[in-house]
Amino acid sequence: MSGLNTIVINGLALALPLLIIAIGGIFSERSGIINLALEGLLGFGAFCGALFAYAAVTWHWFPANSLTPMYLSFVVAALGGAAFAVIHALLCVKLRANQVISGVVINILSLAATGFLTSQINMTVFGGPSSKFDLTVAPRYTVSLLAKIPIIGAAFARFYAFEVLIVVLVAIFWFILYRTRFGIHLRAAGDNPQALDAAGIEVTRVRFVAVLISGGLAGIGGMCFAYSIFGSFSSAVYAGYGFLAIAALIFGNWKIMPTLAACLLFGFAQSGANQLVLWLRMDSSVGDLAMIVPYALTLILLAFFSKHNRAPRSLGEIYDSSKR
Amino acid sequence: MNKHEDAPVQIQLNWFLRFFGNERWQFATIPLLAIAASLIAITAIVGAMGVNPLNVFITFLQGAGWILKPAYAGGYGMFSDLSNTLTFFTPMLLAALGVTIAFRGGLFNIGISGQMLIAGFLASVIVGYSGLTAWVAKPLVLLIGVVAGAAVGGLIGFLKYRFNINEVVASIMLNYILQYSVSYFINTRFLDQISRQSKVVSPASMLVLSSVKLGGVNVSVPLVFLLAIALAIALQFFLKKTRLGYEIKAVGANRRAAEYAGIRVPRTIMLTMMISGGFAGLAGVSYYLGYLNCIQPGKLTSLGFDSIATALLGAAHPIGAIASSFLITTLNTGSTYMSSMMGVRAEIAQLVTGMILLFSACSAFFRWRIAVAKQRAEMRAAGTVAPGAEDA
Repeated sequence: MSGLNTIVINGLALALPLLIIAIGGIFSERSGIINLALEGLLGFGAFCGALFAYAAVTWHWFPANSLTPMYLSFVVAALGGAAFAVIHALLCVKLRANQVISGVVINILSLAATGFLTSQINMTVFGGPSSKFDLTVAPRYTVSLLAKIPIIGAAFARFYAFEVLIVVLVAIFWFILYRTRFGIHLRAAGDNPQALDAAGIEVTRVRFVAVLISGGLAGIGGMCFAYSIFGSFSSAVYAGYGFLAIAALIFGNWKIMPTLAACLLFGFAQSGANQLVLWLRMDSSVGDLAMIVPYALTLILLAFFSKHNRAPRSLGEIYDSSKR
Repeated sequence: MNKHEDAPVQIQLNWFLRFFGNERWQFATIPLLAIAASLIAITAIVGAMGVNPLNVFITFLQGAGWILKPAYAGGYGMFSDLSNTLTFFTPMLLAALGVTIAFRGGLFNIGISGQMLIAGFLASVIVGYSGLTAWVAKPLVLLIGVVAGAAVGGLIGFLKYRFNINEVVASIMLNYILQYSVSYFINTRFLDQISRQSKVVSPASMLVLSSVKLGGVNVSVPLVFLLAIALAIALQFFLKKTRLGYEIKAVGANRRAAEYAGIRVPRTIMLTMMISGGFAGLAGVSYYLGYLNCIQPGKLTSLGFDSIATALLGAAHPIGAIASSFLITTLNTGSTYMSSMMGVRAEIAQLVTGMILLFSACSAFFRWRIAVAKQRAEMRAAGTVAPGAEDA
């Protein structure tokens, strides 16, 4: 396998989970709720999913080597992320909290709660001192016919099952946001909530649902990382991907397709830089410098493109029906 | 409302509203409400695990050196633990002040950890590994800390007003960039092969006098502890009494209005972030060349993120930050001893912090509910309960 293929394969494995988290962020922010909590939500979702998968394997709920626990764990992760997002929704929509502060609080609480619960559950339920739930790394698939196409073919080689899931989900959520009544309500809640209210739609309910969706999608994204990069759940999952997703969606101007481009750019920058270190046979410590590339690139590109960025008009504002 | 003010009526508020409804003291009473709520929540969690919650709280205090433990190892005593707590308190307060000033200016400095790291790293490299004597080295360390932190903070402010880059995104990106570049330099030049951390800095450059004998026990003296307290008071004075402080608050309250009032908003944003970064830099040197004496490559300190919690708990008030720093520091340094005595995982300290924060985040809601309840009580006293006021 050539290095170029590796760049595409690893880049997609990073970019797609990032994209689904970012789409979660888009849903929340287009409805007018700033979501800095993505990091905490993806962590909590991954925690729930990993706990389920670990329990299922340990107690033989399914036949050995069955992939069912893995697939179900994504459902559990989505539910877990959405459940944790209830806190953010309550704080921001009902309790008039500062949305930035609420996001930071969720992140801290999520890291603390999952760290505490992982150790505690390992000790009391599974009977061993450990601060992580071991999972396997998900199997990879290749569509051999398509994989032979040069360069683009690498997208069909050695991909994870969840990458397919994400592509499907992206299409579904693109449709929901831009082609359904709910999507229009959601975008109106972020741009002109008073008008939405006047049209007889409850702004708070739309926003509440939007935040729950963002939690669910972030949970799925977190589970992807637990099954690919980490192969387990531990506090290492909180590696900053939630924040990267935020950067990607701001970079993508709160729209799904440009955000996809931002995520791909980010994924390929990371895998490309890593591959470069390998090619040039450089010392492993240079890997640290390669890690800088995607972040520096994002910052530089943001400097060029942020001028024309326009956030949803009512982003971060507590909805007050008496204001016009 | 105003109609009632010139005809004062005798209002009978219950004790709860009288205590929490006083706006002058709400900066202190509302956080107290948050702390009480989280202590109740933790009592329930620990109780459910079958551990006596009172003992948990006592061992926290014992571990942090506020009250006596039943037994000590030779050469150690309560003051050893307390001095350790105060050594940790110093960077915590300084970092929290950095978050506080940014908050007052309507900005969110989530990059405290990165600013701390670069300040600590530069001070270690320039002064910590040189043979300078203490009288030169220590002030120089402080100076490098302020300058390095302020430079990174200023860069974030610059990116914000010049390129419209959200300061949260910029600080996060810079955190990673700083983390990995410092890691690279430590791994290639300044690594201690045995500890896998950066080489230990010279005692002369440290902002702590370690292993001082006080009444037969080992204590460490945090040299900048008093400076940190003084800076908190100075920051309060700065925000309240100086022109720049007023401008920062005005920009924080309403950027558009501040602009119309003739305040140069870009300059103010830049200065706010520089001051915030400067505090973070001071926190960095007092952490890496004080509480610690080396840097672990590839990691940002969690203190930088905890300081956000501390500042929020202190209601973005410099004096409040002193009080909340004592609380959060106690939770942090007391957790190890608590864990070893009670068998409860040390991570619960983080959970307590998270809970306190969660309830602090609701403070606007508490304040609003209390105001509504007070208003209703006043109206009831005046005999003018508005129709439909019950669903407010």
